[in-house]
Amino acid sequence: MHIMEGFLPAGHALAWTLVSAPFVVVGARRLRRVVAERPEARLQLAAAGGFTFVLSALKLPSVTGSCSHPTGTSLGAMMFGPPVMAVMGTMVLLFQALLLAHGGLTTLGANVFSMAVAGPWVAWAVWRAADRLGLPMAVGIFLSALLGDLATYGVTSAQLALAFPDAVSGFGGAFVKFAGIFAVTQAPLAVAEGLVTVVVMNALAARGQHPMVGVKA
Amino acid sequence: MTLAIDRLAQASPWRTRALGEKAALALGLLVLALVLPPWPGAALVLAVAWGTALIGARIGLADWLRLNAAPLGFVLTGAATLAVELGPDGLGLAADHGIRALAVVLRASAATSCLLLLAVTTPTPDLIQGLRRLGLPAEIAEVALLTWRFLFLLLDAAAAIRGAQESRLGWSNWRRGLHSLGLLIALLLPRAMDSARRLEIGLAARSFDGTLRMLSPARPVSAVWLGLVATAEAALAGVSLWLS
Repeated sequence: MHIMEGFLPAGHALAWTLVSAPFVVVGARRLRRVVAERPEARLQLAAAGGFTFVLSALKLPSVTGSCSHPTGTSLGAMMFGPPVMAVMGTMVLLFQALLLAHGGLTTLGANVFSMAVAGPWVAWAVWRAADRLGLPMAVGIFLSALLGDLATYGVTSAQLALAFPDAVSGFGGAFVKFAGIFAVTQAPLAVAEGLVTVVVMNALAARGQHPMVGVKA
Repeated sequence: MTLAIDRLAQASPWRTRALGEKAALALGLLVLALVLPPWPGAALVLAVAWGTALIGARIGLADWLRLNAAPLGFVLTGAATLAVELGPDGLGLAADHGIRALAVVLRASAATSCLLLLAVTTPTPDLIQGLRRLGLPAEIAEVALLTWRFLFLLLDAAAAIRGAQESRLGWSNWRRGLHSLGLLIALLLPRAMDSARRLEIGLAARSFDGTLRMLSPARPVSAVWLGLVATAEAALAGVSLWLS
């Protein structure tokens, strides 16, 4: 759920940039360390970054008929671990703004927080928890992708509600309003992404390939 | 496969202009769109960005309208939420009759035009090199450049797979579509990793030491241009504050 360029007031745009910055800086440090230890990792990371971008250009069959696409949030979190996902996600969001005019430069901080920080951490935590509880792998993957998506969309609704509180009912009312409108597209999208992620993992497992290259957080 | 913005940026008459000049213009306008009062500030920024893109950078009108339309759709959906209010008796028109929603639409469309002005005149690798000069670590800049290269290769691959699936009725209903999309993604990921590995072997065979050097012609920033841009932006800010 991208927030478009210029949609947030200047103060909010700046504040979200400051909130996201530490996550991206920590992720960048880790990425530099990974690249220093294994120079060949830069090509793998680039391939995975390109892959995440392409995911957002793929249309998901949608119930409401609106334009929706997989976010790749949980797949990315499972592949790189959340810290590296923060910096790769930032890069992909920047490319989406510059090449598709989807999202923006001033709203990059807010989008990074919802899609490259909150979503991946939730997806990763759910995935680990499902593993600990001994749930079947498909269920864990489905829940991870579903809840990662819903977390992203909940954070975006909260960001918009903070910026535009309802005149009568304040933050709560505005949150219900934004979440309600986006639920029409985002709830089916989250379920679809969960199902697609399970198909992806099953197909990869059937080929004997394991995509999880760096699951340490 | 090409992306419209990248195609326009590579062919733009402003392609060879110094990055500093274009960034000062577009990002300066972007900041003004955000900090000035939406009426008349953002409206003036919108007019200047459109004028510069269409007349200065000679972007075709049809292309420009198409690029602006998609983000505007999302902005309007978001703004519709601001025009209504959740009261004790359910949803109703906001007490300000949608003034706030209109202000947001104005600000967001002005800001989007500024972003597009930069994006359609400057190819992404130029921007990454600009960020590198501003202190972006070399490793991150390289991964970003490689990512940029990969995404076009993978877009091609995805389009080919999708075409093959569609011609076999793989997208004929929702259930099949979902399954086909899953297979597409599952095929794309190993392909991406495979081509990364092949590229890495090729580079290693050529003594790749981790730095990708590219030829970038020196383009000095014109002080006159920067002066003109600063004056115009200051004048725009002055006029809009005086009018508001």
